[in-house]
Amino acid sequence: MTEKNEFKVLFLKSLQFLIIFILIDLSLGFIAKEIFFSQKTGKYARLTHSIQRDCSEVLIMGSSHANRHYVPDILEKELNMTCYNAGVQGQRIIFHTALQKMILKRHKPKFIILNIDESWLYESEESYERLSDLHPYYWDFRTELDPVLSLHSKFNTFKLLLRSFQTNSTLVHAVKYYFLPQKDYKGYRPLHQQMKKPQSQKIKPNNSKMVKDETQIIDTSFVNMFDEFIKNAKINDIKLILTMSPHLQKANGLKVNKSLKLMKSMASEHGIPLIDFSDDKTFIEQYHLFNDPGHLNNDGAILFTKLVADTLKAKNLID
Amino acid sequence: MLFNSIDFAIFLPIVFILYWFVTNKNLKLQNFLIVAASYLFYGWWDWRFLSLILFSTIVDYFVGRKLRIEENQIKRKFLLWTSILVNLGFLGFFKYYNFFLDTFINAFSFFGTEIKANSLNIILPVGISFYTFQTLSYSIDVYKRKLEPTKDFIAFAAFVSFFPQLVAGPIERAKNLLPQFYVKRTFAYKLFSEGVKLIIVGFFMKLVVADRAAIYVNAVYNNVDNHDGLSFIAATVLFAFQIYGDFAGYSLIAIGTARLFGFNLMTNFNRPYFATSVSDFWKRWHISLSTWFRDYLYIPLGGNRVIYPRWLFNIFITFLVSGLWHGANWTFVIWGALNGIYLIIEAVLFKSDKKNIVNVFTTFVLICFSWIFFRANHVNEAFYILKTILSNPGKLFIPGGADVVAPVYAIIAIAILLAAEIKKEYFNNVFTLGGNKYAIVRWAFYSGIIFIILYMGVFNSSQFIYFQF
Repeated sequence: MTEKNEFKVLFLKSLQFLIIFILIDLSLGFIAKEIFFSQKTGKYARLTHSIQRDCSEVLIMGSSHANRHYVPDILEKELNMTCYNAGVQGQRIIFHTALQKMILKRHKPKFIILNIDESWLYESEESYERLSDLHPYYWDFRTELDPVLSLHSKFNTFKLLLRSFQTNSTLVHAVKYYFLPQKDYKGYRPLHQQMKKPQSQKIKPNNSKMVKDETQIIDTSFVNMFDEFIKNAKINDIKLILTMSPHLQKANGLKVNKSLKLMKSMASEHGIPLIDFSDDKTFIEQYHLFNDPGHLNNDGAILFTKLVADTLKAKNLID
Repeated sequence: MLFNSIDFAIFLPIVFILYWFVTNKNLKLQNFLIVAASYLFYGWWDWRFLSLILFSTIVDYFVGRKLRIEENQIKRKFLLWTSILVNLGFLGFFKYYNFFLDTFINAFSFFGTEIKANSLNIILPVGISFYTFQTLSYSIDVYKRKLEPTKDFIAFAAFVSFFPQLVAGPIERAKNLLPQFYVKRTFAYKLFSEGVKLIIVGFFMKLVVADRAAIYVNAVYNNVDNHDGLSFIAATVLFAFQIYGDFAGYSLIAIGTARLFGFNLMTNFNRPYFATSVSDFWKRWHISLSTWFRDYLYIPLGGNRVIYPRWLFNIFITFLVSGLWHGANWTFVIWGALNGIYLIIEAVLFKSDKKNIVNVFTTFVLICFSWIFFRANHVNEAFYILKTILSNPGKLFIPGGADVVAPVYAIIAIAILLAAEIKKEYFNNVFTLGGNKYAIVRWAFYSGIIFIILYMGVFNSSQFIYFQF
């Protein structure tokens, strides 16, 4: 066969292979997606519920500090409004802005309580990598997700044309939660351990973060995302309230935290209320209210949620 | 540039098109394109170190030319040593300077003498251990008159820097690869198709087997204080497959990529975990390096044509140096020494390596034992891991939440890999999917592998382990 013919064969066979691959990707990808969206409990089931079904008037958003600290049943009772906790563990502002855009496409809650973490605007490669949690939804939310997902890699959205890549790493979750269902209470997932107060060492204010904060760099994409989150709420006539969860120890480092300072000033520019519970004496060094140094346990969460509801009412933030 | 990066996904088709459609009429131009593409491929990581490759190329080219005409034995030796000193000099400085300096300082301070010397902040050029060995083999073969030196500088530069195997092998011999640059390559669909299949399998081994296993292995080995013996055993077994998937995966992608351009590279791995003895393992693992050490160290030392104790010594030294080649750390030296000891014990006590499951299992256990030293971050940690395995089996670490995905996928991927290898090792002539006579079955099989890669793989462009060597 001449070289020219060899290239012809290459072209034709590549085309045939491509067709077979697309068919396999579509058919196996269809099954993978069916499995994914059949999940009844677990991280993805909650995410799917927030995006596709929830119609609550109050929506809680944020990281694990939102997911583990806000009890929707209490807020519903105190505020007389329906509520869902759409907090997602380990995620930061870039994810929450994307999630907010996806939710707003279908449903506009009256209030969004966004529980912010002080380090959200600092550079973080992980934040980009964890956006993969949104890949299974890409096909239905291309307009919303394209600008966010392409921040990390321009080619990510190209890979996402493949069904197999959209559902990457999701099978084990589906199987796990099928056999071991994960209980949640309108999105809220309580923690049940209780920390013990250290016996010997005297607790000192946590200054270790101060040094770290001075060297951290602000990621402008995250700043833009935070700004977009605020603007999306405003455009859609949603009342946005920013909160900060309680800390176990007095965190002096927060005073010099550039990321937190910037978020506070942006919130203030837009006239968005920010209620800071990080220094609240109800929780400082109250080990019995904490599951671990970063998270309240169920008792702490109940106490905290009541405090949030009372503060919102006292400040007339909820009509 | 990494094989598992978007940069390479763009680079490869561009070079392919230029190679077969623009420069295909002129062999010299085609070779020049390979050199340019290879320098771009390497320079993408750090262009400054291109000077090392270029310098090695120039030195060895001219050493080769001179060796061809030089008859005086002393002058010939001088030329050979020039090549050896330049190549091993680069390697020694960039890879071992700080290691030897620290070792000397520690040794002297042990005897009560303090030496003041500062370590240098040296960046290890990617793949330096590979291309220096490749080009050294050329000089040695020319010196021994086993190879006719080339007159074609561009072909030689392409041989030294050929991008598919530049940074992590296979370490090619000049007599296999260099002549392929002298002849016009014609495109053949069959070779292309073989190349693509090897690339697909290579990516499966890297992105699914190795990178999934790595997540569990790193969680355990980078946090030794918090784990028990069972976790160390699990992590070590997973590491055995991580390093195999990583390195054999790289080799397959390299061999496959070379085939797209009409080149044949040597096989580097041959189902090593089905070896029936440690010596059999070394005939199947990193074959290009093992044979390099055999030809350029073990045999020059006398090989097995010497008195018995000297033969055992030759085996030990070869593996000790091989250990040091892998990295400037005592963990690698001990790993090499351990393999040397295994081979000596085998040579002295066991003459049989019968194909049976007991031998395969015993060899796997011995190799895994040596991997503990290879993977541990420090010698002390390796001994701590061994002690913990023996004294405190404890609980098996199972990652919580989303992290459980990694070991589960790793186990599934290893099962797929082993099933394929068992079939090849023991039942090669029975039904085959990848080599099926019906094209649709073959294509469905390879499409299925691509689907698994996309569905189960890790896509964070992680480095290949052997880049650091």
